[in-house]
Amino acid sequence: MKSVPDRVVKTLEKKGLTGIAVTLEEESLCLKGMVKNHDDWLKAGYTAAAFPCREVINDLAIQGLEPEKDRLPALSDSLLEGRHFDAVVIGGGVIGCAAARELTRWDISVALLEKDGDVSCHASGRNDGMVHPGFAAHPGTKKATYNVRGNKLYTRVSEDLGVPLVRCGSMLLLKNPLYILLIPYFFLRARQNGVEGCRFIERRKVFQLEKQVTRKQWGAFSFPTAGVMSPYRTAIAYAENAVQNGAEVFLDTRVRGFRLEPSKPGKTRLTAVETNRGTFTASVVINAAGIWADRIAQYAGDRFFSLHYRKGVDCILDKKTGALQQRATGMPELFQLRAKTKGGGIVPTTEGNLLIGPTAEEIPYREEYSTSQTDIDALMSRLNLNRALKKEDIITYFAGVRACTWKEDFIIEPSRKVDNLIHAAGIQSPGFASAPAIAEDVAAFAVEALKLQRTVMENRCFNPRREAPVNPRNLSPQERTKLIQSDPAYGRVICRCEGVSEGEVRDALRSSVPAMTLDGIKRRTRAGMGRCHGGFCTPRILEIMSAELKEPMERLTKRGAGSLFFTGLTKETEPKKAVKGGEA
Amino acid sequence: MMNPKEWDVLVVGAGPAGLAAALAAHNKGASTAIIEREDRPGGILKQCIHDGFGLVRFGEKLTGPEYAFRDIRRIEEKKIPVFTETYLEKSEILGGGFGLHLVNNRAGVFTLRSKALVFATGCRERTARQVFIHGTRPSGIWTAGLAQYFINIQGYMPCRRCVILGSGDIGLIMARRLTLEGAEVEGVYEVLPEPSGLTRNVVQCLEDYAIPLHLSSTVTRVHGEDRVEGVTVSAVDAQRRPVPGTERYVECDCLILSVGLIPENEGPEALGTPLDRLTGGPIIDQRYMSTALAGLFSCGNALHVSDLVDYVSETGHSAGEAAAVYALGKSTKPSRKLVPLRPGNNVRYTVPQYVDVSLPGTVTLFFRSSRTLEHARATLSSGETTVLKKTFPVLRPPEMERLEFQVPENGLEDALVLHITGREEKG
Repeated sequence: MKSVPDRVVKTLEKKGLTGIAVTLEEESLCLKGMVKNHDDWLKAGYTAAAFPCREVINDLAIQGLEPEKDRLPALSDSLLEGRHFDAVVIGGGVIGCAAARELTRWDISVALLEKDGDVSCHASGRNDGMVHPGFAAHPGTKKATYNVRGNKLYTRVSEDLGVPLVRCGSMLLLKNPLYILLIPYFFLRARQNGVEGCRFIERRKVFQLEKQVTRKQWGAFSFPTAGVMSPYRTAIAYAENAVQNGAEVFLDTRVRGFRLEPSKPGKTRLTAVETNRGTFTASVVINAAGIWADRIAQYAGDRFFSLHYRKGVDCILDKKTGALQQRATGMPELFQLRAKTKGGGIVPTTEGNLLIGPTAEEIPYREEYSTSQTDIDALMSRLNLNRALKKEDIITYFAGVRACTWKEDFIIEPSRKVDNLIHAAGIQSPGFASAPAIAEDVAAFAVEALKLQRTVMENRCFNPRREAPVNPRNLSPQERTKLIQSDPAYGRVICRCEGVSEGEVRDALRSSVPAMTLDGIKRRTRAGMGRCHGGFCTPRILEIMSAELKEPMERLTKRGAGSLFFTGLTKETEPKKAVKGGEA
Repeated sequence: MMNPKEWDVLVVGAGPAGLAAALAAHNKGASTAIIEREDRPGGILKQCIHDGFGLVRFGEKLTGPEYAFRDIRRIEEKKIPVFTETYLEKSEILGGGFGLHLVNNRAGVFTLRSKALVFATGCRERTARQVFIHGTRPSGIWTAGLAQYFINIQGYMPCRRCVILGSGDIGLIMARRLTLEGAEVEGVYEVLPEPSGLTRNVVQCLEDYAIPLHLSSTVTRVHGEDRVEGVTVSAVDAQRRPVPGTERYVECDCLILSVGLIPENEGPEALGTPLDRLTGGPIIDQRYMSTALAGLFSCGNALHVSDLVDYVSETGHSAGEAAAVYALGKSTKPSRKLVPLRPGNNVRYTVPQYVDVSLPGTVTLFFRSSRTLEHARATLSSGETTVLKKTFPVLRPPEMERLEFQVPENGLEDALVLHITGREEKG
């Protein structure tokens, strides 16, 4: 019997992919060599992943592909030099923020490192916020179990963090009358995955539930546990609650490497973390670095997987459309079983907009968020799932990139090589839905690793409830008036599409994980997310930012270093004109 | 501030339309107040420091702030209350009138009631995403009005070298403004085969400064991660699709958009007033009153996007007068007899969309042609009856036209249709 690597080489050759060297490293298949294009790169990775192996490390070079520009933070200081943290979380996405918060349940020092200027800048700020029921993932996968557990946990998380969760339910619309034959199989899978409350709804009934649903449906399989939440507000709320419970968040802080020392035979332990803001010691490290998680694993000498990058584009519709649909709907191609996406659909949001998406397109770069006409065309076809939606309802669209392993499952486990490293990698859809469960487990792994080094006590002061920022629109008129009388800034509405006041913008700049950029304010307050998309409120917000951050207007940015608003002053402006918020 | 239990007329918006409406309503004897979300009245005119305003209304060329000030001064003289920095959260139909739920930093949450309600809420600008510009989303993509605010109100330069997409009037004016402030305008790109802005602006803002205008061209992609580094421009075909092979990379640090204005009518819509898909404004009769909701009036750019502020003031004035008459119950209020007024051949839209033929008097009709025509003849007819005929040396879509006609004494039965015939402009 031939070895697995030999069989992979043979299969690759059959598919026309020659000259690829395949080796087995730590039970993972490693591919080396050169391929002609990105399609071949993907084909090779997936081919290898179909063989028995732990994971695939696809180190094939792509001919003529320009390497991705390494976007390093401009900042360089010694803020962290010489410090020590019991637990360090790398990555300020929803997984990292939630893990940091779970760690603060223990009486340990916790640091969350994020390379960009805010938490939830990447995948966590660029998805549709579906709290999936847990049906789509194959039974027995980590995706399936974490999703179902995460979905349940969100009820509590939403309450504790003060981030609204709407259990709107979702419907998988049947595209073909023959699909009804699959219903028993659907029930079986739901049972295997532990998804509760599923029902088959016949065609006529679907029209009663969703008046505007496409006429081309033949009934639906419904998931009452499906919900929606704002993914970036959840990540920010987790981070804020972590800080309120003693964690420290370091933005613009990028890990450059680790210091390791041998421990048991063939194993190491991580002693220090090297960053652009200094080197510090750590007792345990959680790798929640999203699209860069394989790079972090490499720094620790434990790169047993590599990632590929699948872009998804969503578009947001005007709030006016919110009344046209209550549940999330999708109509997947059920016979493309190897499809790597659930096909996308129409998703309500907790803010009242509808959202269409996401697409799925493999790309050769990790942080490439451009959009194209093809994306929009693909999204437009999904608009037809609801008969009342029009192209003019689109306010904006955005791209995110999913961090996928070649096995297409999550990696949530303590490192087998490094005693005090925990991986939470390959977190793609349903990553947001799974986040609370993943965070619980990685925090537990980390505490276990810590307990081997020292005693770990519970944090008696832990408060699971985040002190959520004031939202005047949720108050009764009397309460709101009282609030405004005590602080008139809550009565100056500056974003007229979303009704956001100056007070809320100011709070976002002063919160426990403060916004430093316009996009940060947008994510925290929704100012600039409405139909005019910042056309009217941007100048006002910049003035408030300038006053709060004590930075001149010319140094304010959209989303961190380089994304400046202004190139200078006009000819008639006094060189040192001080601009104060709220004064004209 | 005098604050009656119920105002006769409340006007939403203190731009030129709202100011004119409030003055007219007040002068007709109606108790009137204005709701304004900004800290000063004047609307967008405050940032329009170029001249050319007021030629029709005052016979002189004024700047935006000067034009606005003439009305603001009269508002002050007449002591018409302006609730500034006051945000309209929701409006509702209350009894026979309206209730406005408002928020400001002085009174908190409060409600004002009125018999008639005038929406003079202007427009917002269409954004990059709403015209489907692709590529990245760096800093440096601004709508022209926002760039104008940065420069004229805040005193900051948004760019050193920019590309302007869209030849709407604000885009043209910003091309000149940016040039005067020392920035380089690489060019203005317009997807249509002719400019969208007024001819005088093409001449005074582009030609006088040797700024190239590229017709039938568009921006297809934005480049740059943090700040705009360049854009790809392409020629487009007759269906406005980019022509492959015509792409050109333009280095620039900013993309300014003047790709259209969207009347802001979320208020009337929420009250159940249907909008005209051609204008984006409420469907109204010649008194500017919604045909679906009596007592609700619309004027200015919220009603339809005007080329000149003078017309904005005119519709504001008429709507304000009509709102006062309605609120004071002076009209004998026979049940309305509405006859549709529809755009016919070569007409993009008409305002009003209905004529109440039970009302005597002159009807003012605004329209835009759907293409450029020379020796154009406009004919307004109802069935066999020709109500009005007028010839124009030339009609261009960017230029709004105004007509007046009398409703015949014996009324009209059939829908009114405005047709235009004429010659295609010679290249």
